[in-house]
Amino acid sequence: MSFVSRNQKGTNGTYTFSSRPRPVENRSKYREKQTEKAEKAHSTYGNIMYDRRVIRGNTYAQRFLSTMVQEDLAEMQRQQELRRRAIAQKNKTKEQLRSSTPEAVQGRKHNVVQTELYLEELSYNIELSHIECQTDPLLDRPATPLFIPAKSGKDVATQIEDGELFDFDREVQPLLEVLIGKTIEQSLLEVMEEEELACLRAQQRAFQELRNAELAEVQRLQEQERRHREEKERRIAQQREALRMEKETVEKIAARAYTQQYLADLVPTVFQSLRIHGFFYDPVEKDIETNFFPWLMAEVNSKLEKRNAARQLLDTLIHDVAQKKLPLYTNLETRPEK
Amino acid sequence: MFTPVARQRLPGEQLKTIRTKADRVTSLTPRRRSRRTVAPPDRRTLDISEMTGVHIDPSRAPVAFGRLAIPELFAQLVEPDAARRLRALASLCDLTHDPERLYQVVSEGFLDQLEVLLKDGDAAVRTRTCELLHLVTSHNIARQALLSSPLLARLSQLLDDPSPLCRTRAHRVMNSLALLPAGAKALQALVPKLMLKLQEEQEEKEEEVQALLLSTLSCCSRLDAAPALSHRGVTLIGRKLSHACSNIRREAAGAMMALSVIVIAMSQVCEAAVLPVLADLLRDQDVDVQANAAGAIMNTVVITTGKHQCLELDVLPVLLELLSQRKPDVEEEQRRKALVLYSLRALTSLAEAPEGRRRLLLQLPLLVGRSEPPEEDADIRRAARTAVNVVTWTP
Repeated sequence: MSFVSRNQKGTNGTYTFSSRPRPVENRSKYREKQTEKAEKAHSTYGNIMYDRRVIRGNTYAQRFLSTMVQEDLAEMQRQQELRRRAIAQKNKTKEQLRSSTPEAVQGRKHNVVQTELYLEELSYNIELSHIECQTDPLLDRPATPLFIPAKSGKDVATQIEDGELFDFDREVQPLLEVLIGKTIEQSLLEVMEEEELACLRAQQRAFQELRNAELAEVQRLQEQERRHREEKERRIAQQREALRMEKETVEKIAARAYTQQYLADLVPTVFQSLRIHGFFYDPVEKDIETNFFPWLMAEVNSKLEKRNAARQLLDTLIHDVAQKKLPLYTNLETRPEK
Repeated sequence: MFTPVARQRLPGEQLKTIRTKADRVTSLTPRRRSRRTVAPPDRRTLDISEMTGVHIDPSRAPVAFGRLAIPELFAQLVEPDAARRLRALASLCDLTHDPERLYQVVSEGFLDQLEVLLKDGDAAVRTRTCELLHLVTSHNIARQALLSSPLLARLSQLLDDPSPLCRTRAHRVMNSLALLPAGAKALQALVPKLMLKLQEEQEEKEEEVQALLLSTLSCCSRLDAAPALSHRGVTLIGRKLSHACSNIRREAAGAMMALSVIVIAMSQVCEAAVLPVLADLLRDQDVDVQANAAGAIMNTVVITTGKHQCLELDVLPVLLELLSQRKPDVEEEQRRKALVLYSLRALTSLAEAPEGRRRLLLQLPLLVGRSEPPEEDADIRRAARTAVNVVTWTP
């Protein structure tokens, strides 16, 4: 809100003033203290019509500011008196100020006289004349005649003949077509939709039936397959079992035969080997072998040893002698050569 | 046909204005709803819209024109007033029958806003939202979007809702989702909960919910039957086989058929003495129930125990009788096709047992008759030929 008021000196020296219209602030009824005034932050703007400085309503009979609302009766009378006195005084002063004719000379009296051309009798009595009038009480009031305004302008008449305006049958055709067409179209759409849905349902049903039947078939075949397979497996297992038993039997027989054959030779071999190892012996022979012969051999051995020892001694003796005689003989051998 | 003729105004006559109730009503754009503009009473001309009268359905929110309709309605869904939300939902339900609008809903990602509504305090709002979701699942893009959004978890919580109508609707949505293979895969995680629900539902008499539940279970089990089996599927479903309502019987037999593809299930079925019940169902009135029962039997007789039990129960003549029946009506024949097919397969499996083979050899002409060209359907012919082969097999 900018308070723009411009006072300008015009181009030819005239004074102009213009200001933007601005709202009037609300003034409180009573004067505020200085501190409060300074603190007034937001001033409210009031209606200009309620401002004390603006005169509302009819100003023709306005002679004083009518701001007093509640007043005492006495108060009002007193004020009226005051006003009257003021006015009277004003009038008096006005009269005094007005210049009047000078006073009459002594012995003469001023008199008011008419000086116009035609004299008038001035009096306060008003001429009255009485005239009476009375309606006849029994006379009926006649009906007011119909007010027909005077004819003005030209009379013009018109008449619509047959076929001039429009032909209903022809005009209504497109309307009807559209109305009925649209309705039928809409209903057809709905019916078709329902039919479509019904068709879809029927198709779904048929499909489901087929599917169920085929599913049952599949299940049956599956079951059959399963049964067959199980049967087959059982049979195969049985067969395998039989084969295994047979094989086992054959092996058993073979093993038996072989064992028999092997063991046939067993007893003589055992005896043979025992005999070889000397388990069956002649006790005398054994005794001779174990006791006699070692002693014999030992005796023989010792005898021989003795002989041997003696011979060895002799040998050594001979050797020693020979040794001692060796240098002699060698000396002998060399001397003769000389 | 008349043509309109303008009559000259006679002296003293004034144009009469036709004042209808329509004069006092506004035009229906939601933007101006707060300020009612009343037509001045001395209007000499009328709008077409006012002449035709206004049809306001108090249970539906007003719909904006063109492509703003859906966003406006979704914007109204977050208002605190439950009645307003209900009305907006009602209008949405009406609009989503149109595929273009549906596409708009899905492509602009409004489906996620429905998640908040599913947690709403008001049961009517939840029910309507489920209905909306059900309408939405009739299209593929919406199904894909649903499967990839967290709405699925919220839906599964709704299965425990106190309001029965809400539960029914939620089940319907699940069912329509389960018909899609991707949906069935996504719902696999929910199978334990569904089995629990099945157990609980025995106390209540909600037939539609049971039927939907069983249908969902059979769809999921077609993909993978293991979860349902591990939660005592055979016993629970076996109990439903003898229910009074034919819908439930049909769905239960279908679920049994889907379950008994696994070998373990087959042995469970034989142990749990379900086969006699199935054999009874073969004599049921409803063709679909018969077909499903025949299918379940066909799956079970693959294992030897099943074969022996069935032969003991004397199922063979019943199956042969079903085979020999020929309805004159082509439509009926179409519906019976499943029945005939399953019976043939069941007979094939039974023919692998020596006892069965012996008996079927006596009935060979019947089977041969089904495998010949007088039979229109190629699938039936093929199945009959396999049956004949098996019966006449010698080691």
